[in-house]
Amino acid sequence: MTPFELVEPHTLREAAGLLASAEVRPLAGGTAVMLMMKMGVLRPARLVSLRAVEKRYSEIAAAGGELRIGALATLSALERSPLVARAAPVIAQTLRMLANVRVRNVATVGGHLAHADPHMDLPPVLIALGARVSIIDPAGGRTLPLGELYTGYLETTLGRNELVAEVTVPAQGSRRAAYLKCTTRSADDWPALGVAVVLEADGALVRDARVVISAATDTPTRLAAAENALRGARVDEAVLRRAGDAAASEAAVIGDQHGSAAYKRELLRVCLARAVRAVLDEQ
Amino acid sequence: MTIGGEDLKTAQTGTVGRSIPRLEAAAKVAGRAEYVHNLQLPGMLHGKIFRSPIAHGRIKRVDVSAARAVAGVHRVVTGEDVRAIVADPHYGPAFHDQPILAFEKVRYAGEPVAVVLASDPHAAEEAAQLIDVQYEALPAVFDEVEAMTSKAVVHEVLRPAGAFPDLRHLQGRKNTNVALDFHLRRGDAGGAFSRADRVFEHTFHTQQVLHVPLEPFVSAAEPGEGSVTIHTASKSPSFVRVEVARLLGWPENRVRVKVPYLGGGFGAKLYIKLEALVTVLALLTRRPVKIALTMEEQFYTLTRHAASLRIKSGVTKEGRITARECEVWWNGGAYADIGPRVTQKSGFTAPGPYDIENVSIDSYALYTNLPPAGALRGFGIPQLVWAYESHTDMIARELAMDPVEFRRRNILRDGRPQATGTVMKDAAIEKVLERLAARMEWKKPFERGSGTRRRGRGIAIGFKASISPTTSVAIVNLYADGSCALYCSTVDMGQGSDTAMAQIAAEVLGIPVEAITVVHPDTDVTPYDMATLGSRSTYHMGNAVRRAAEDARDKLLAAAREAGLPAETTPIAEVFRRKYGMQAGNIVGTGSFIPAYTPTDHDTGQSPNVTPFWMVGGTGAEVEVDTETGRVRVTRLVNVADVGKPVNPRIVETQLSGAAVMQLGFTLFEKMQFDGGQVTNASLAEYKIPGMRDIPVMENEAVDGAERGGPFGAKGVGETGTFSVSPAIANAIEDAVGVRLMSLPLTPEAVYRALRAKQGKPLDD
Repeated sequence: MTPFELVEPHTLREAAGLLASAEVRPLAGGTAVMLMMKMGVLRPARLVSLRAVEKRYSEIAAAGGELRIGALATLSALERSPLVARAAPVIAQTLRMLANVRVRNVATVGGHLAHADPHMDLPPVLIALGARVSIIDPAGGRTLPLGELYTGYLETTLGRNELVAEVTVPAQGSRRAAYLKCTTRSADDWPALGVAVVLEADGALVRDARVVISAATDTPTRLAAAENALRGARVDEAVLRRAGDAAASEAAVIGDQHGSAAYKRELLRVCLARAVRAVLDEQ
Repeated sequence: MTIGGEDLKTAQTGTVGRSIPRLEAAAKVAGRAEYVHNLQLPGMLHGKIFRSPIAHGRIKRVDVSAARAVAGVHRVVTGEDVRAIVADPHYGPAFHDQPILAFEKVRYAGEPVAVVLASDPHAAEEAAQLIDVQYEALPAVFDEVEAMTSKAVVHEVLRPAGAFPDLRHLQGRKNTNVALDFHLRRGDAGGAFSRADRVFEHTFHTQQVLHVPLEPFVSAAEPGEGSVTIHTASKSPSFVRVEVARLLGWPENRVRVKVPYLGGGFGAKLYIKLEALVTVLALLTRRPVKIALTMEEQFYTLTRHAASLRIKSGVTKEGRITARECEVWWNGGAYADIGPRVTQKSGFTAPGPYDIENVSIDSYALYTNLPPAGALRGFGIPQLVWAYESHTDMIARELAMDPVEFRRRNILRDGRPQATGTVMKDAAIEKVLERLAARMEWKKPFERGSGTRRRGRGIAIGFKASISPTTSVAIVNLYADGSCALYCSTVDMGQGSDTAMAQIAAEVLGIPVEAITVVHPDTDVTPYDMATLGSRSTYHMGNAVRRAAEDARDKLLAAAREAGLPAETTPIAEVFRRKYGMQAGNIVGTGSFIPAYTPTDHDTGQSPNVTPFWMVGGTGAEVEVDTETGRVRVTRLVNVADVGKPVNPRIVETQLSGAAVMQLGFTLFEKMQFDGGQVTNASLAEYKIPGMRDIPVMENEAVDGAERGGPFGAKGVGETGTFSVSPAIANAIEDAVGVRLMSLPLTPEAVYRALRAKQGKPLDD
């Protein structure tokens, strides 16, 4: 790793203002950026640490049927938050299988979302729940649905001097949700496929469905055809097969060291069905 | 005898056979144990290696000017600079084929070509990226079977090293990729095949994998006046001294090699790795030089052989194997390292632990343009057992015989000659098989699962000859207060050898193990040891330590008698006080051990004595297969081994379980991926090793055994747990879902594709 300068501003807006050139990168938990620097993929001259910014950006709050999660909240803070467990238990469940306790203790929600590695576990879950992300820049900011943040592998719509400030997640309420993480090597490997399913259902009758997959595609991807196959249907094996077929044909699945594209499409059929069953069985 | 005032005769400690906590445990937990990575020397330079990006090519031009211009860079060293100090800079335990830095040619992607030296390691790293090398690409060969006939030749000329007696027959060759061919002929395999009721033939493959010690390779050298001191994470300090002295043309006593603790070795940190390089750099700059590899660079240093294995058996309708033929091709990568020994030693036992009259074995060590392969916890045996124990199960199924019963009918018993002609002794093969069957409750009905979760079980059994002939020397130094130092060059890399050696010395001397300090390898201080490898230390060094301790004890008893004291009952300190008139002096005992050995015949591979002892390891696996995803969950793993009489049962158990977990990773998912000879998953993010959540319910058992030639009946254990894991799991998968996998690793996709093929609906690529 090449030497770098470290600055530690006291406000998030000030931090955004310091990200003037491509030579400067933000540093939150550092779990991804440090690895990329060690590999020589990133060679920043300066890192802007976000550790000393306003406390409120590390807080988790619940109000008005929403969870508001500061970008600098650690993943373990999210994992252990009683507010999260109440409002969106699927998030707490997902976190228990995310990386390992050492990573969760330092990695932050904002970094996790902004890194845009499609193998990350929270983006499909949060997108399926309808999360919105607030972004700050030196002058103001903007808010957009989380799904619109991602444009490609490690690519987002974030401008050079924009930082994720907060993510807002509608509480699950009557919706039920599950996230299925499918690894093909060690248990702690990056997933070959992640499937998040959020359903509004009466018994086996699905009133509304959200299906978002990750890892097997370049960006977290909402599967509209699979959702349509589920929406309004009374779930049985035939419905699950139709939804699986729809998912396998609409998703732009890519092959890599975790498995070929053909195999991952089969995994998608199976995991989607299992995720839907897990949600319905939970009711 | 004992220290303090205790009675010499009655205070027998009975140390051997007890699960004494490791001597270094507290220091390791407290972070105080010494490792080379922590070593800082005054004025030390850090080296960063520049590596070849291509697999095979001629070096046309090396431009280091931009690297040299980086602020803080002390010097940039190339292969040509090395030759100013070492005219012929080739090293290796089998062939002198590997240059300290590449010159004229590169033979694998990742081969060291130049080194940047700087006081600041970051400056060295920055500058190394600015080195510009022009190559003329040459045709490359990557597959071991293709290498037999490939027009791409990795080495134009081969020069045997002649260092080890078991490799003295290696030939100098030209224009071939065959580094060594081992042949074994016993009986008449051809005739037996024509008489057999059934003949079975299968071909298996194993993948290239990595040791992944959590402490990557690291070495440092300090120049002296006509001398050099090397601090290194090495398992073979004595070999490093001999080989560096040879390269420099110096006497051995000018080269000092010191080794503290190692953070894992597994066969990687043997022979010369970074030691010759740091020595040359230190001599060129007259400054201490250290090179510490990153985790990623380990993928370019030493690996385990991929192999192709063809195996054929002739069987009677009663289920007796009458003939076996094996052809094995070992992918040795660009430099032989110890690959020829892997080829030969594994050749000895290629027919498996079975009593087969007619055997034919051909085993080839091949050069290819991949990172070099060498020893990895089992010296080729896990690859062989994968093939012959999969093959054995497939035959049993074809014959509709129970796999345990089929093995029972063919098992190699003590007193019977093995394929080399060596008669088996103290090898509890049958006992291991029976204990495995008992632990697996093989005769009881087995719950086979339902729906998409199908359960199956399998067993496998393998064995290994020890390396031979090799020497260990030990010194026991009794101090005047009755405490003791043990000098031995066995390297404790986490296997617990310090504790085991101290237990053996304590047992002989009748003193508590805490009264003994184990002096770590320092070739100026500790005597010769061939190396810490091949599960040889407990047997070889254990015998040397026992002899050294007996020598010291005999001298102590003689001193007591000379002083007119009752030899058996006088405290040690009292003997010293009487002999030297005060608390003074030493009693030094020495011990040396080399077992008998008869080389194998070059044409037939026959020898009456190929090994001082045999290691036997069996594994039983229960698995659950997800038929919709192909994912295999190992729900129970039973490892049964013959380790003789354990010196320290708890450490023996952790050796068995650790070895099995390591092989579990090689079985289920570990694989080095290549693109044009370039490793594409050289990191722990993309090369996954088992974590805690991958470890199945595991049981480990050392059968009641005794090795008559070993110290207090003990023999080696470090590799035994690896032998049989892979075929046991593959056999269990076939038992569960009826598909047979012929290549490792047994990934979910491989299982799923086999299931689809079986249904007549193969999955497209």
